[in-house]
Amino acid sequence: MEISLLKLQNYRNFAELELIFEPEGALIHGKNGIGKTNLLEAISYFAFGKSFRTKHDIDLINFSKAFFRLEANFTINGKQFVFEASADKNIKQIKIDETNISKTSELFQYLKIVYFSPQDIRIISGPPAERRRFFDLAISQYSFNYLQLLRKYYRILKQRNALLKSKFNNLEKKTWDEQFIDIACQVIEFRLDYLKKFIPLLTDTYSQISNNHEELDVKYKFSFANFYGENLKDNLRNHLEETEKSEIESLRSLSGPHLDDIQFSFDLHPARSFGSQGQQRSLVIAARLVQANLISKKAKDTPILMFDDVLADLDKERALSIIHLLKKKHQIFIATPNVKNYEGFHLQNINLEELV
Amino acid sequence: MFSGLLAELVQNLKKLPGIGSKSAQRLAMYLISMEKVNALELAESIQNTVKNYKNCSVCNMLTENNPCHFCSDYTRNQNQLCIVENTQDIYLIEDTNEFKGRYFVLNNLLSPLDGIGSDEINFPKLLELLKSDGIDEIILALNPSAEGESTISFLASQFEELKVKVTRLSTGLPFGGDIEYTSSLTLGNALKRRYSVKD
Ligand SMILES: [Zn+2]
Repeated sequence: MEISLLKLQNYRNFAELELIFEPEGALIHGKNGIGKTNLLEAISYFAFGKSFRTKHDIDLINFSKAFFRLEANFTINGKQFVFEASADKNIKQIKIDETNISKTSELFQYLKIVYFSPQDIRIISGPPAERRRFFDLAISQYSFNYLQLLRKYYRILKQRNALLKSKFNNLEKKTWDEQFIDIACQVIEFRLDYLKKFIPLLTDTYSQISNNHEELDVKYKFSFANFYGENLKDNLRNHLEETEKSEIESLRSLSGPHLDDIQFSFDLHPARSFGSQGQQRSLVIAARLVQANLISKKAKDTPILMFDDVLADLDKERALSIIHLLKKKHQIFIATPNVKNYEGFHLQNINLEELV
Repeated sequence: MFSGLLAELVQNLKKLPGIGSKSAQRLAMYLISMEKVNALELAESIQNTVKNYKNCSVCNMLTENNPCHFCSDYTRNQNQLCIVENTQDIYLIEDTNEFKGRYFVLNNLLSPLDGIGSDEINFPKLLELLKSDGIDEIILALNPSAEGESTISFLASQFEELKVKVTRLSTGLPFGGDIEYTSSLTLGNALKRRYSVKD
């Protein structure tokens, strides 16, 4: 996949800007605050239907203006598409080839972008919610069915929590519980399937980009007692029965994929608390690379990669050789304040200081 | 800015689905500048229709005549009952030409978030209807949303003792994505490929 043209109007700090990109991608540079991340955010808006930094489209509108508008030409699976997005304080519209899409989630079926963020380290060092978010997004890009399933799960969860807060009758509770169990287990199966493919690739990739030889391990941590060899649904059902009292007391669902974790560890110690910053940074870059790799394997087209000043975390020689390998398959965008760090990368240079 | 009667009209138009402030203003302006006869005819037609439509005492559908023309048409197959969420769904199903039986409108789906439990989905009234007539298949034509699925499984469990065949629409989607049966072709196929809830 690649983007060849991007037009921005009233988007963040850009009043009006038109950029043409080469198939290999670009090195976007300029001093801090010049809008490098804003540019990456604008491109990836078309992959997620929203910003990766804010839920509120109104934040994306240039402060003195009433609306923003984006337009981009993408090539996906050899076909050309024109994407448009605009929003004012009331309404948001996204079009593909001049046709409005009805749900932003439709975009997941088209464009795939993997964004390497400076905040990614929180996937390793942060709370479980950060890891769930990483995997939920990665699996949604990998399989559109997962995104739909996950939405359904969160809807049922919300309903079930409302039920627990109400004076429910047992028959209705049983109905909601069975639905909850059914969809919860489908979500978990999806995650386990994905991890089966993810883990061996992660081990390989991590050893390629880090100097360390510690043993890496990734495990799915259930929020309920899941006895191996026994049926997942039965395990969750039994657990719900046993914890019914505390669920009714705390007025919410206390187990399920919304509370499960995916634990990374080095030599059997949780990477979250025991990994060094360097180990954690390499690990998270490896995880993003595997996310991209799995999309490529499934989609028959390669996602666009965006590195938001994260390669500086790696050894320079190694970063260079990784980029050279990736450049053959992916369109790559690198944002950095220090263009000198990226000498020898042979990418189109975009100096934002000359354009803004 | 609009004021007085016009502002009131704009406020009322905004209550319609898909009508925001701008569209409401445009429509209001159009209404006061169009031929008076036509505008008044529209107002009268809205008033008459709204006044005269009520829920059918048997099946709950919104109808001008009570009982509705489906409930009073004995040429329809009296052995099949199709349960839908709302009146509009009946017309969607009629368009497919795949079903010639009777209908029942729930008007709600189970939804704790909206305070809707089994009493609010007209369940007692439905049981009454099932008692009196020789129905041998119940089709649960509800969307496979979280609320639809829960309502399907709740009703199915309640019908177990009735010894009737209980079926649901085929979704055509492996994971029951939240689709609406919008085109009559998909809905027709979903009806044709309906399957037993027990499977
Ligand atoms: Zn009727």
